[in-house]
Amino acid sequence: MTPSRGGVGSRIGLPVVLGVVLLWTVVPLAWMVLSSFKPADELTATTPTLSFTPTLDHYDALFSGGNNIGPYIRNSLVAAGVSTVIAVTLGCLAGYGLARSRFRGKDHVAFWIISQRMAPIAAVILPLFVIFRFTGLLGSTWGLIVAYLTFNLPFAIWIMNAFFAELNPSLEEAAMIDGASRWSAFRDVALPLVLPGIATTAILCLVFSWNDYAFAVTFSGPDSQTLPIAASQLVTQTSIDWGQLTAIGTIVVAPMILVGLIVRKWLVTGLTLGAVTGE
Amino acid sequence: MAVTTQKAPPATEARHRRPLRQRGLSFEGKMLAPALGVLAAVSIFPFIYIIAMSLSLVGLIGGISFDWVGLDNWTRLFSDGAVWASWLRSVVFFVLTVGLEMLFGIGIALAIYETRRGRNVVTSLVLMPMFMAPVIVGLLGRFLTDSTYGLYAWALDEIGIYNGDILGNTTSAFLAVTLMDVWEWTPLVALIVLAGLTSMPRQVLEAAEMDGASYWSRLRDIVLPMISGVIIVALLIRSMDAIRYFDIITNTTNGGPADATKIVPIRLYETAFRFFDLGYAAAIGLSMLAVTIIMANLFLRILKQRGLAR
Amino acid sequence: MTGLTRREVMVRAGAGAAALALPGALSACGGSDEGPTPVPGDEWRQFAGTTLNFISENTAPTSAIAANVKPFTDLTGIEIKFSQLELSALVQKVALDFASGIGSYDVIYADPYQVLAPYHAALAELTAFNEDPNLPKIQDLGDFIPTQLDAAGRFVDRERLYALPYDAPTLIWMYRKDIFEKHRGRMQDDLGFDPMPNDRSTWQQFYEISDWIRKNAKDDVPYGSGHQAKQHDSLMNDFSNVLWAYGGDYFDNGTDVGRYGSDAPGEPLLDRPESIEGAEMYRRLVSIAHPASTGWDWTGLAEAFMAGQLAMAAEWHEFAAGIESSKIAGKVGYARLPRGPKRSANMYGGTGIGINGVAPENQQKAAWLFVNWATSPETQLSNLKSEVGGGTPTRESIYELPEVKAARKPPSDMPNVLTTDAVFEAWQPENIGLRPKIAAWNECDTVIFTELSKMLAGSQSPESCMRNAKDGFESAIERAEALRKQ
Repeated sequence: MTPSRGGVGSRIGLPVVLGVVLLWTVVPLAWMVLSSFKPADELTATTPTLSFTPTLDHYDALFSGGNNIGPYIRNSLVAAGVSTVIAVTLGCLAGYGLARSRFRGKDHVAFWIISQRMAPIAAVILPLFVIFRFTGLLGSTWGLIVAYLTFNLPFAIWIMNAFFAELNPSLEEAAMIDGASRWSAFRDVALPLVLPGIATTAILCLVFSWNDYAFAVTFSGPDSQTLPIAASQLVTQTSIDWGQLTAIGTIVVAPMILVGLIVRKWLVTGLTLGAVTGE
Repeated sequence: MAVTTQKAPPATEARHRRPLRQRGLSFEGKMLAPALGVLAAVSIFPFIYIIAMSLSLVGLIGGISFDWVGLDNWTRLFSDGAVWASWLRSVVFFVLTVGLEMLFGIGIALAIYETRRGRNVVTSLVLMPMFMAPVIVGLLGRFLTDSTYGLYAWALDEIGIYNGDILGNTTSAFLAVTLMDVWEWTPLVALIVLAGLTSMPRQVLEAAEMDGASYWSRLRDIVLPMISGVIIVALLIRSMDAIRYFDIITNTTNGGPADATKIVPIRLYETAFRFFDLGYAAAIGLSMLAVTIIMANLFLRILKQRGLAR
Repeated sequence: MTGLTRREVMVRAGAGAAALALPGALSACGGSDEGPTPVPGDEWRQFAGTTLNFISENTAPTSAIAANVKPFTDLTGIEIKFSQLELSALVQKVALDFASGIGSYDVIYADPYQVLAPYHAALAELTAFNEDPNLPKIQDLGDFIPTQLDAAGRFVDRERLYALPYDAPTLIWMYRKDIFEKHRGRMQDDLGFDPMPNDRSTWQQFYEISDWIRKNAKDDVPYGSGHQAKQHDSLMNDFSNVLWAYGGDYFDNGTDVGRYGSDAPGEPLLDRPESIEGAEMYRRLVSIAHPASTGWDWTGLAEAFMAGQLAMAAEWHEFAAGIESSKIAGKVGYARLPRGPKRSANMYGGTGIGINGVAPENQQKAAWLFVNWATSPETQLSNLKSEVGGGTPTRESIYELPEVKAARKPPSDMPNVLTTDAVFEAWQPENIGLRPKIAAWNECDTVIFTELSKMLAGSQSPESCMRNAKDGFESAIERAEALRKQ
């Protein structure tokens, strides 16, 4: 993709715009990372300081003692990861099925699907609690995975439906004429063409589950607590442990530097997202 | 809802029955079944349950109990000044946050699209905020705006713009939580719009450039119309969440000062789990759902119109 | 809802669960078995091998115990799993747990106002355990400070005990001794009274001192006072001291409603002249305080105090531990809060720990071992000394121990004990501040701190603030009544 070549205005304007954007985004993050290495007493100093003796105390505290953050990271990864995989898988299947089907009320079914994602959180907690209680999912990581599916699955179906609908069915029909089964047409012809859609869906599903706090607090038990809960536990009755909090933030955000690479690689392939627009 | 009927030629197979019927599921039906099965399992019961809750007085001691009160909760909802005030704040919050996120998100996506060197790094950095849980963003925001040691509070004071307590005054608190939300979610919009930009067909763009069109006219006449659908998608995705999310506010101002940041989802959570007035909470929740559905319908209608227009 | 025995609660929980009208209703209460079977022999080791779940707020004694739970495990062979959550999340999980009849948490941090008042029926009655010949008794029940035992452990019924006092933070007057000493002479001349906190200090004097410091001691400290006036529970705590000092109150017979709790507190007294006067005084106090006060809860206030931003404040005495290791260590004095025309009132914020009445019977007995141990003199002493905590013992005998007595004067290795003189005065029955212990308190609390926040933001007068609060209280109580009658 060749970006358009701009005139003088664009040449000066672009770096300025980028500069402002990066400043806006990065300053809080940089301050957070910096603070995670500051000794505790300097964290709450009245004048912010840039020079200090760095310490690993906060990271140490996070990983040691009775409340090691390791299990929290693991639980977050597992709950978000597995939920995303299930959502994307089922979403691809259902999205394809919906895109290729033709029946009255199809639009209504599609809307019903996406409306599941609009449920107000505090209102659905009690009935979901009842369901989980009945199925014994309370307090387990699988409970969280299912809870996250309540918003990831509708989302995945909806987006994948849009991507598949964009594909010209004649490609699949040609394959079938050549003897492929419908399943094979799906798997070998349609699926590879929607990889950007799969990537986008996966990233977004991951983000939404990773960030959840309300469901995690309600449905997790002592063994399945996730990172957002760890962060909230730093708010004690008498203080907020800023050192450990900024350290958690840093741990959470650091790996995401890889996402840019993934995004670049997967989103460049030619399929238009225009499917979702209905062009 | 997918506006697909324009491009795809008519199916060559015979008309299908609704795939959801039990007998003789078509291929599409079989594809849909697992996902819809899971969805139905986790959503139909809650939906009925919430409606039942909204028509009852719900007790928790000694087990969950429902005491039918008819439309009492609903009449109370429509005459509750505090809830209407919360809705007003929600609307303002929504328009500001989503509006700014869309504006900045599109702008950022365009800027990244035009960048040639260091695109990876820029993209990674710009996308980072959305990977932090709103809980953490709220607490970080609090860390930055605290009067005693907050970096931003100090900076604003030094520059001379503002020396009051950011989270302790009604207007500044509202602005602060708005900006925290914008900081976190603009990258989401930027990501989606960027996906749309990178999928634009090159030929049209190059042709326009060859014809000597300026950047702005290309942007206005070609690029934006081409990605308008993507923009609506980003709008829809963000809107669905903007109404429901409240973690940032809970961890900063807790709805204050003087209720300035008390948007509807906070009132909902409070009613449900602080006052344990679950029936009323269910009514509030259903009203939120209704508003979201109406809004989503509106956006999708615009989506359809654009599709049909082509 | 009062007067239910443990068994009745369990039956109700089971019946309630079974009565759930929808298909796939919850199965019968608790687990399928009775819990661990006791091993005869040492009464402490009866339930060795069990695991208990303790849900608590993120508070000092729990952190101290969690950091050093080995003594308990060695004594009993029982393992403890700690869930520390912020208070609103705790309240949510506990309520859902009671409703579901599962009993996932055996030991519960029973906040008297948010958990005990609405849900006492789901907590196990403790006297039965204490009188059980097979279980270890509490070491000297009379050792607990009586007001606290009642406030943290009982609800309406004066015979039934639902929780044992676990911590006891109390609001007291913290002030910068060094600044007061430095300017004492001039203040005395200008103001006409000795500014050092004493028995006769009044809120009006507090106001004048704060104003004087703000105007005349800018080199030492930017503001004279600060308040925890965020739209949060902290605002209600801070305000109540002034309300009571001026003779106002939430309900008639406020001391009883606060100490024992009530099912029918009657008409709120917030619109009485004294209450309005208290509100007006509070407004004046905040108007000359550090402007960030309206954004501070108790943590923000303490951080500002420790950073030298203000000279005095009403703050929870347990913060002394942090203060004495900050840059103002050794410079802080502690006293009982000032008085108003009626009295000096010092808000009590203690909590007890109780046993989940929905858990299986033998699990409850095992939980009793923990509740007993966690509130024993040895544990409370070790919490005081712990690096992690900075506890606030609820037993009188602790304060009599020689090492604790020695720590009452600086330098002290148990900094919270430096506040003992102030706190003991604060705990006198005539000085203690007890907020209403009623089922509707959560909503009433929200009403009062929201209305106060609006008053402080300037959008309403103290008078309309109090009237609106009264109306809000009445609706809240009506609703709680309706919920209870089911």
